[in-house]
Amino acid sequence: MSRTVRQRPAAWAVIGLVLFTLTWELWVRLADVKPFITIEPSRIAGELADNPRFWLGQTWLTAWHTMVGVGVALALGVVVGAVLAAARPVEWAVQPVLVLVMVTPWVAYITSVVNWLGAGTPTILFMVSFVTFPPMVFAAVQGMRSADVAARELLASVDAGRREVFWRLRLPSALPSLFTALRFGTGLGLAAAYFSEGGSVASGVGLGEVGRRGTQNQGGGYPIVWGSIVCAAILGVLFLVGVNLLERRVLRWHSSQRAATS
Amino acid sequence: MTSPNGPGKATAGQGDITTQPIRSGRVSTGTDVRGISVSGAGKRFGTLEALTPVDLHVAPGEVVTLLGPSGCGKTTLLRMIAGLEPPTDGAITVDGDDPVAARSAKRFGFVPQSPALLPWRSVEANVRLLQEVNRAANPAALPDPLALLDAVGLTGFRSAMPHELSGGMQQRVALARAFALDAPYLLMDEPFAALDEITRADMRHLLAELCEPRNTAVVFVTHSIAEAVFLSDRVAVLSARPGRIVEVVDVDLPRPRTADLEDDPRFFTIETQLRRLLHEGSGR
Repeated sequence: MSRTVRQRPAAWAVIGLVLFTLTWELWVRLADVKPFITIEPSRIAGELADNPRFWLGQTWLTAWHTMVGVGVALALGVVVGAVLAAARPVEWAVQPVLVLVMVTPWVAYITSVVNWLGAGTPTILFMVSFVTFPPMVFAAVQGMRSADVAARELLASVDAGRREVFWRLRLPSALPSLFTALRFGTGLGLAAAYFSEGGSVASGVGLGEVGRRGTQNQGGGYPIVWGSIVCAAILGVLFLVGVNLLERRVLRWHSSQRAATS
Repeated sequence: MTSPNGPGKATAGQGDITTQPIRSGRVSTGTDVRGISVSGAGKRFGTLEALTPVDLHVAPGEVVTLLGPSGCGKTTLLRMIAGLEPPTDGAITVDGDDPVAARSAKRFGFVPQSPALLPWRSVEANVRLLQEVNRAANPAALPDPLALLDAVGLTGFRSAMPHELSGGMQQRVALARAFALDAPYLLMDEPFAALDEITRADMRHLLAELCEPRNTAVVFVTHSIAEAVFLSDRVAVLSARPGRIVEVVDVDLPRPRTADLEDDPRFFTIETQLRRLLHEGSGR
């Protein structure tokens, strides 16, 4: 009882969420909001509680798409980033392409990808990886370039090999910026997964596809749509928490984590 | 400009924690000139002359300080000796070899201006860092990192992380790391410049203590006159840009060097002499 509620951020977070949900519920009930705009949180909760197995299954599919897609993007991003960090001309050549990929709305070309790779999982995974790849590369390049100059000289003074410098200095130096990119990337990847599931012309492939079916079903489709939205939102939060926990473990040495923990 | 008092150091005291094997495995392959030879080495960056060609010889086991104002090219000279930068004029050899070859053979213990500890590695892992890379060039018997940590006064800090240490302690780790290769040449680039005056004095006393039993040759870059006098067998005074060696001063003070030497009148005499040379060199 040494700390009052006043000083507990977690308690305040719960209060904020409860207030938000209550406002939502009251707004829908009192203002008689039409179901094609939104429905009461209590109805969404009822839908989720009625079919927990279904929702868990679909959420897991979307989670899997996001994790695999972002994981591949991260791995490739580090490899490509290492190459770009080592050779300026290559970086100059590749950077505009990556920016192009990053700014092009992926909604626009998903049909092409479906035609190319086929419906369902291949398209979804490609989209998630493709969309999250550029920020991973940029983070890797920037992080590896940020490696301490004195430490680089030190390793050069004993003629350490390129690979030794990469593992011992460049990659660890890039971890803070990679984690930042990962936090951003899981959000982006989740959005890409949800959207691509809906647009992948396959069924039973995750929340996005459930949501798309819901919008097409005129009658009882709204709880389904909103169920998929809420599940995706929870998933997004879980990803954030996961990345933050991992970061706290891996980057214990980094100043950003020391400020947060001590 | 050869050394009048080469490797004639006093024998090791009680501080001798690692008995060093004779470095017989490091016979030079080039011309047999032991030590570091700088002959007419200079550096130009485009039209800017950073260092006018200089001559200098550092005998094995000798401590030579490059003393000069900032921007005089003393760090450039050190980097050229370390094989990190090629001279644009003249040549440098280390035991008769090219500096780049000496670097590959891990013949240098380098101490940069900042401690440059890797923040994700423990103190002990930082001391081991240079042993872990380019392993092929490691000497047969590597010094024990824990013994080195004892020697620099960091017993019990092996698993501490760098951010938990003060600036002086971090630089102690950097010293232990430099000695961890048992390299015959220590190259130090203003290693104590960022420390406060008291810590700085402690560090130079510690460095002298560490070098004494190991018979390590040191090229020490500094702009601190006290550091130069206390540590050196000889001090090369550099002028302001473009840098050139104004004079090489012998420091005939007894070894081992201990802290009380700094109260000795002879210490002041040499300090005054160096200060005068520095002022002449900077044209003031």
